[in-house]
Amino acid sequence: MRSEKGRSRKPLSVPMDSVSDIAFLLIIFFILTTSIRRVTGFQSELPAAQRDQQQTTEKMPSVKLHNGALTYNDEAVTPAQLRERLLQLKLPQRTESERVIVLEATGQVSYQDYFAVMAAVSQAGGAISIISESKDGGS
Amino acid sequence: MKMAPRRRRDIAVPVVSMGDIAFLLTIFFLICSNFTKEAGIKLVPPKAPSVETIKESRISVAIDGEGDLFLQGQPVPDARSIEWGVAALMQDRTGPEARLVMFKCDHQVDKAVFEPVLDAIAKAGGTIVAVGDKSSPNE
Repeated sequence: MRSEKGRSRKPLSVPMDSVSDIAFLLIIFFILTTSIRRVTGFQSELPAAQRDQQQTTEKMPSVKLHNGALTYNDEAVTPAQLRERLLQLKLPQRTESERVIVLEATGQVSYQDYFAVMAAVSQAGGAISIISESKDGGS
Repeated sequence: MKMAPRRRRDIAVPVVSMGDIAFLLTIFFLICSNFTKEAGIKLVPPKAPSVETIKESRISVAIDGEGDLFLQGQPVPDARSIEWGVAALMQDRTGPEARLVMFKCDHQVDKAVFEPVLDAIAKAGGTIVAVGDKSSPNE
């Protein structure tokens, strides 16, 4: 029987030579696959308590969207004119309840038109109260 | 006068810590990266001149070009599911940004689709952060 005595034991070691290469490859992967983008938009206040209520909207400024046509207090305006009118109201100086702008959309209205109005109200410092169209066609 | 021969030193760049540095960089990229939840959702965002750069919020609701609804990148059947989902997601979070809900919607989607969703977010107590691109001031 062969003696075990003379056998030399090799020290076990994990090969670490290529670790830095792997790590750098990971970094290159992250750099190449990452797309740096800036998200743009606006914060819009929709007071939940005032929605879906037959509230006293007569005194509030109202914006109406009907099949793409835009009116402000029953007067036809362009989106640029609407922004000007809303900025003239100086809404940030008013109380919370006086900052509410009524938004009513009837007929076929795309999100593009809606977004433009919401952005204008948000820029002017207002809060939006949406009047939803009922199923029978009325508001 | 005879000069003694100069001994040339072997110049070696220390690369022992290179692996550690590379891994630290990898960890940095991993932590700083914000993985988008709506990677597979196809939508064309609306445009408005008064949008600003906004910080991405943790709760996201999206409507793609076909009118399908998504909450946190996962499809949901209706606006009511969004209301419950947003309310549940807000329960787990605290702080001023907990109520912010990022809303992305295709520019052509009709109000019959997006209005109930906006309503659902408001009913859940969320503040809408509408995402869109910047357009020229005349649009």
